[in-house]
Amino acid sequence: MTQGTLDWTVETREGLRLIAPIGRVDETTATEFAERLAEEIAKAASDGHKRLAIDLAEIEYMSSRGLRGLTLAQRQSADSGITIVLARPNQIMREILAISRYDKVFQVFDDIDGI
Amino acid sequence: MKVRFWGTRGSLPVAQKAAAIRDKIATALVAADGRRFADLDEARTFADDELEFAVGGTYGGATSCVEIEAGDEFILCDLGSGAREFGLDAMARCARGHARVYHLFMSHFHWDHIMGFPFFVPVFDPETKIVIHSGHADAELALRRQQEEISFPVAFDWLRAQISFVTLETGKPYAIGAVTVELIEQNHSHKSYGYRFTDAAGKSVVYSTDSEHKVDRMDQEAAFVAFFGDCDLVICDTMYSLADSASMKEDWGHSSNVVAIDLCHQAQAKRLALFHHEPTYSDADIQRMHQESIRYEELTREAAPLAVICAYDGLTVEV
Ligand SMILES: [Zn+2]
Ligand SMILES: [Zn+2]
Repeated sequence: MTQGTLDWTVETREGLRLIAPIGRVDETTATEFAERLAEEIAKAASDGHKRLAIDLAEIEYMSSRGLRGLTLAQRQSADSGITIVLARPNQIMREILAISRYDKVFQVFDDIDGI
Repeated sequence: MKVRFWGTRGSLPVAQKAAAIRDKIATALVAADGRRFADLDEARTFADDELEFAVGGTYGGATSCVEIEAGDEFILCDLGSGAREFGLDAMARCARGHARVYHLFMSHFHWDHIMGFPFFVPVFDPETKIVIHSGHADAELALRRQQEEISFPVAFDWLRAQISFVTLETGKPYAIGAVTVELIEQNHSHKSYGYRFTDAAGKSVVYSTDSEHKVDRMDQEAAFVAFFGDCDLVICDTMYSLADSASMKEDWGHSSNVVAIDLCHQAQAKRLALFHHEPTYSDADIQRMHQESIRYEELTREAAPLAVICAYDGLTVEV
């Protein structure tokens, strides 16, 4: 991973688009993160998926920029009838989701099969 | 430079109820575990050193009022209910020879930031000079209206001090008293302003309350990062959780601990004081928010550490 960019993998499952960014979402990558989320929502909508799952397993951590990017994505996806869910946060992300109370506004899954 | 917090609560003054005090005493007795104390001082030392702040103390409940001690004249941010006690203390200092000159800096004129003015005793002293600075052109209207007969028995025109109003503009430094002052416009109903005070030694304090960093306007944050740049102490509105400020309480005009820490990290500020506490929060709630803020700072730190303190009524910080 180069400084200031995120790598992504994408998978589709029954009714679900699963995306996995790799890296850290901070001030340098937050815009890229938000733009890519917007594209993924559009693709999920055109494929008729009802849910967009973000696999956080390879996300080191996320500052408020990334979290607020999730909020903007959630608004956009709600317009297309898509729900965003989060999966497999590492221990740091789990703490950040709890401190920011984002674990109260997003459903968080411990494993992919549970989604 | 010293910063003294006279009021740190947001929106509405609050007071501890009997049951809350009883629970603090009960928790302290359990923590003491049968220990004996020779005198009150020994018991006080135990309370200071061995009890959590939320048990042995309280964050207080007066609304926004922060004194910046620099030079011979008083500098004060906002006139929340904490201004009553500040006014009494300031009069006592004047009796001991302190200059009777006050430079007030107003973030905005919502109730919780002006309600202390009618009880601010220096306004009755004809020897006192009070200059009220703000970014708002309608400052005088707000303070006069608060003292109209329907709301308060003492009219503004009956006040004896020499009171004047000065409207400041953003983007330029002003030399006022012993400090240089700059201001920044903030997102809040009817606008609010943040202030940066720099003393002769180059130490600086930012007072930024009732400031919403909007989720869909993150592009506006660069201006705040610059304003907070290398600051020794940044006092920030951290009333809500990030989730609340971005959802249910969006557009309520306030911000979160998490965004304040991110901005201070980017600005390479040295210390952050959490401020404008949610009135529904108990001492334990505020203490938890403080601990979580310290943890978030650790988790997201990329450069020098940012010290995160939690303002409480009565706290003095040496800058
Ligand atoms: Zn306020
Ligand atoms: Zn306000």
